[in-house]
Amino acid sequence: MSTAPEPVAGARTGLAGLLVMPATLFVAIGLIGPIAILFRYSLNQFIPGQFMVDGLTIENYVKFFTDGYYLNVLARTVRVAVFCTVVCLIMGFPLAYVLARTQSRFKNLLIISVVLPLFVGNAVRAAGWMTAFGSRGALNASLMGMGLIDQPLEIMYTENAVLIGIIAVNLPFMVLTLQSVIEGIPRNVEEAAFSLGAGPAAMFWRVLWPLALPGILAGTILTFILAMNAYATPVLLGGPKFQMMGPLVYGQFAQQNNWPFGGAISFILMTATIVLTVAAHLIVQRRYR
Amino acid sequence: MARLSIEHLRKTYGDLTVVDDVTIDIADGEFLVLLGPSGCGKTTTLRMVAGFIAPSAGAITIGERGVTTLPPWKRNCGLVFQSYALFPHMTVAENVAFGLEMRKISPADRAPRVAEALRLVQLTGFDERYPRQLSGGQQQRVALARALAMEPDVLLLDEPLSNLDAKLRQEVRVEIRDLQRKLGLTTIMVTHDQEEALTMADRLVVMEKGKVRQIGTQRELYEKPADRFVAGFIGRSAFLDGDITAPGRFRTKGGVEIGCAAATGTGAATLALRPERIAVGGDADGLHNRFEARVEHASYLGAILDIDVSLSGQDSARQDRMLLQIPNKAGVAEPKPGETITIGWAEDAGLVYPREA
Repeated sequence: MSTAPEPVAGARTGLAGLLVMPATLFVAIGLIGPIAILFRYSLNQFIPGQFMVDGLTIENYVKFFTDGYYLNVLARTVRVAVFCTVVCLIMGFPLAYVLARTQSRFKNLLIISVVLPLFVGNAVRAAGWMTAFGSRGALNASLMGMGLIDQPLEIMYTENAVLIGIIAVNLPFMVLTLQSVIEGIPRNVEEAAFSLGAGPAAMFWRVLWPLALPGILAGTILTFILAMNAYATPVLLGGPKFQMMGPLVYGQFAQQNNWPFGGAISFILMTATIVLTVAAHLIVQRRYR
Repeated sequence: MARLSIEHLRKTYGDLTVVDDVTIDIADGEFLVLLGPSGCGKTTTLRMVAGFIAPSAGAITIGERGVTTLPPWKRNCGLVFQSYALFPHMTVAENVAFGLEMRKISPADRAPRVAEALRLVQLTGFDERYPRQLSGGQQQRVALARALAMEPDVLLLDEPLSNLDAKLRQEVRVEIRDLQRKLGLTTIMVTHDQEEALTMADRLVVMEKGKVRQIGTQRELYEKPADRFVAGFIGRSAFLDGDITAPGRFRTKGGVEIGCAAATGTGAATLALRPERIAVGGDADGLHNRFEARVEHASYLGAILDIDVSLSGQDSARQDRMLLQIPNKAGVAEPKPGETITIGWAEDAGLVYPREA
């Protein structure tokens, strides 16, 4: 049954190489180059007033890992990212399943409505939240007006606001990734499990979950990376006191002008993201292969 | 193993009736085939028995157990799909053991039953393979073993051979039939393939537009089709439209008078004749109905020749056209269009069905 995939058309003529060149060049110039330079900068010294002094030191990394404030920011970022990813998976799976299995002629409309939250940019959403949930927003004004509360509820500029904001942005990515994978699992396979005596829970854990695993991995990795690197949501909904890694990096570059330390934080963020992603991948693979 | 009874089963989607008042009794150990053109409701009926579709009305009983409202996982129906529907992430042995695992049978007790099921389908030694490493025929046999291992009350086969190539289909057909007999399994198979249905079934159910048209053995369906649809669907028939003018007398639209024992009552009717009951040339001598027919078209099909003739010679109206099949004898050239041949049949050869005028 299994056959080797056909070689890509044009592979022999070198045309394939030519066609992948633009994307490769784009990534190399736009991503790898700057990151390499950033890494070099992260080993430089920062002397206030002198901006950046060439050197080869790990003091920026040491500074990060010895200061409770920065470690706290990292821990908070990981916690927020893990929480948002898990919630996205739990809420996204049923939705993705329904989207994948529906026979409705409105299916495309449903899919568009899943993507709809992405049409509302972060800035617009934050502005909307302020008018609705701010301390002088519509919700608090009406609750206080009715005499139900005397202090405004704190919704804006809390961790909860950031969590909800990130989940709202990331959920569509999770749902779309899962939906495409679930669509590839024949309905017959589920029915076969049912006919063999598996109830819905047994069918889910023994058949659907393992078969959807590639999509679950892709979806969680995608949402995890997005959450780890979230910038706009923590800034706009978390306020100045709620620090996450993304805004911290930017602050070092744009406000403190401390490029070496900003570079170091960037690398710590990137490494943490990659390590956690790979670790999750390996654990899941060992568990289900 | 158990008998299965389907009573007044109905399924409607809005105004659309997909299955209409289907009643079938299947004896313990019987192999029943649901046969019909696509969209006739045979698959919907099977899926209602399996529990995947809730009937709009009617009852399904397996043995003494009313299962109409039970979910599929409580029905104990072994199901084999056209697309095999094996679990791709499990080995052959794990696939076959799945039903036993769901019944909380210990791994130690599962092993011999898995081995026995694989032995029945001649796949001993394939335990550790994955479905993707097997051919289509082997995958279908794994699917069968998986259904058999859990010792189902009824076996449901949903077009199980459609994805196999012609030669393999013949083999698997015989294997399934032998196995079903040996185990005495009450079985329902759905197919649109007439040959498959005729070779495998104890009894057949012909369905059309959601209704059961006829239930019977192969011989009953072929020799005594209940209506015009069955006469055309099971085997081939030559049809002549016309009227019954008097008991035993049938007149075609083109005005040809035919003696027909089955013609009773009066009014618009269709006369159905099996092609092999129509004699040609000298063989037609002495038969009550004997006509000079004009050849309109002849097709060479190897063992037989299909000949389209016009009984009254009025080809322009396309009236009184009928199909003959004559054996391809050595040294006999097929008739040319425009030639006249003698054909004939006995008075008791035809069947008559009322026709909407």
